[in-house]
Amino acid sequence: MTPLALAWRTTVRYRARAILAIVGVAVIGALLFDMLLLSRGLLVSFARLLNAEGFDVRIVATQGLTRLPIPDSAALAQAVRAVPGVADVVAIRAESADVRTDRGSRRVTLVGRSGTNANPWRLVRGPGLTDAASPAACEAVVDRAFPSAFGADVGAQIQVTALPSGQSALPAIGCRIVGIADFGFSASGEHTVATTMAALQRAMGDTREGDAEVILVSTAAGAEREAIVRAIGRLRPDVRAYSNADVVEQFDRNGFAYFRQISVVLSTLTTAFAFLLVATLLTVSINQRLGEIAVLRALGIARQRIARMLFWESALLVGVGALAALPLGGVLAVGLDRLLRQMPGLPEGLHFFVFEPRALVVHLAVFGVTAAASAAYPIWLAARLPIAETLRREIVG
Amino acid sequence: MTPADPERRPPIVDVQHASRIFPMTAGPVAALRDVTLSVHSGEYVAITGPSGCGKSTLLHLVGCVDTPTSGAVLFEGRDVAALSEGDRSRIRLTRIGFVFQRFFLLPMLTAAENIELPQSEAGAPLSDRRLRTRTLLEYVGLSDRADHLPSQLSGGEMQRIAIARALANRPALLVADEPTGELDEATGDHVADLFDRVHADGTAILLVTHNPTLAARASRRLTMASGSILPC
Repeated sequence: MTPLALAWRTTVRYRARAILAIVGVAVIGALLFDMLLLSRGLLVSFARLLNAEGFDVRIVATQGLTRLPIPDSAALAQAVRAVPGVADVVAIRAESADVRTDRGSRRVTLVGRSGTNANPWRLVRGPGLTDAASPAACEAVVDRAFPSAFGADVGAQIQVTALPSGQSALPAIGCRIVGIADFGFSASGEHTVATTMAALQRAMGDTREGDAEVILVSTAAGAEREAIVRAIGRLRPDVRAYSNADVVEQFDRNGFAYFRQISVVLSTLTTAFAFLLVATLLTVSINQRLGEIAVLRALGIARQRIARMLFWESALLVGVGALAALPLGGVLAVGLDRLLRQMPGLPEGLHFFVFEPRALVVHLAVFGVTAAASAAYPIWLAARLPIAETLRREIVG
Repeated sequence: MTPADPERRPPIVDVQHASRIFPMTAGPVAALRDVTLSVHSGEYVAITGPSGCGKSTLLHLVGCVDTPTSGAVLFEGRDVAALSEGDRSRIRLTRIGFVFQRFFLLPMLTAAENIELPQSEAGAPLSDRRLRTRTLLEYVGLSDRADHLPSQLSGGEMQRIAIARALANRPALLVADEPTGELDEATGDHVADLFDRVHADGTAILLVTHNPTLAARASRRLTMASGSILPC
């Protein structure tokens, strides 16, 4: 009979202890798994959002991605388009606006984009913006929740009033909905209406082309992004160009460091609890079975075999618990994510808990080490057990 | 080899002026004092004496689970105290069979698996283990209880399984500590009959017991008192 088989029989024999340990490890493991998902979740989710737009480089007016107009953005966009390796360039500007339909008026984010047909949103229905439309016409792409909220779907006409400084007496312009899209960075519960830069300017009452706040650049396959970033810097030293990796790194250093730190602290605590739980249960179990172990030793069963048996016992308890922790942690993560995403102003596509294979590997590795560490003390107890004294105590007891 | 004339053969175990002192908080306690004893192949030795006279301590020295504070225990000519724990473990596994008062069968294993465990540890091939286990179950008259857990066996049955387990690796010496101590008289007699049979089949036996009927079956009877073997 192998040490694993002996460990299995022991686990089955002491069922209550095993269930207690497995449930404990599963609960603690679920928390640990969630901490691992949280530790990089926002960062991964943010990177996915950035990459999902299909643009590799973004140009802003100042350091830190704050929303300020880029002076002479149209000329800059034109110049960037000529940089070798650049596939497409889109200038973006966002303003507040009121949208009026038969159901009344509500506040939205009005996005204008200039450039080609490349869009920083994912069209799910409708033909989308057609740049060939007449300059006087206003086409609009709206978010998924828009039709039910405003009672206006593709083909419907809406009245858009721009609110450049919160309040405005600008006249409304009529726009026709030509598409439903997912806007990755739209805040949950808020609505987005995207149109051409020209239409946005008309809504703003501008006669000249206004300055964009962000210029998005997509690079050709095989192009070196960092070289493009450097080339843009040379074109206009007063603006900042960031690759997506730069943006993610910047957020990692600043905005997300807090989540990482808190998850490291909580992960360490949960691992310590798992270790204490299993080590205590195994130690108590060994103390209850000292006679049994002394008999095994008296029969000539080698210390190593007993050590391996105890290790497998620990591995079975921790292993089953750690595996059970995965679906439990997954369900918990979904619930917590839903709760946290209710925070106002968060982009709808942003998630706090994001699964990565790396999290699974770390989870299993941490519990592998926990299983070995938890078994260490009971193994030491069993290995140095005085056989004769224990047998005598068992008889007298 | 027969039990006849055992003194001419080298002893399986030779206890030479062994003492065993246990350090206690209230002061050291001498459980054994200058004990000398040899058990030869094929012998059947019974040790009797009052509780606390050192019988079990002597048995533990003979069984290589303990070493003397002074003096020596030679097992088949090797000084047990000088051996590594691994070597002592190997001797216990292959040369000594243990029978305990409280049976100490592993509760999570069936009767057959309890008998198979020492053979598995000794590296016996599976087919040999299965055959030997079947033979031993027949030997102790419990073939029909092979797949029962210890909790499903009576005291007498558990002790018979424990004897089968002790014989699993064909030991030179069977040591038994109060093997009938937990059994009623009739069941104890059955177990005693089994010991007679084991002895008749050539295995040396050293047992300690309070049971005079069991002791009377031995070919040599010794009495202990206050940590010493009394002169015959």
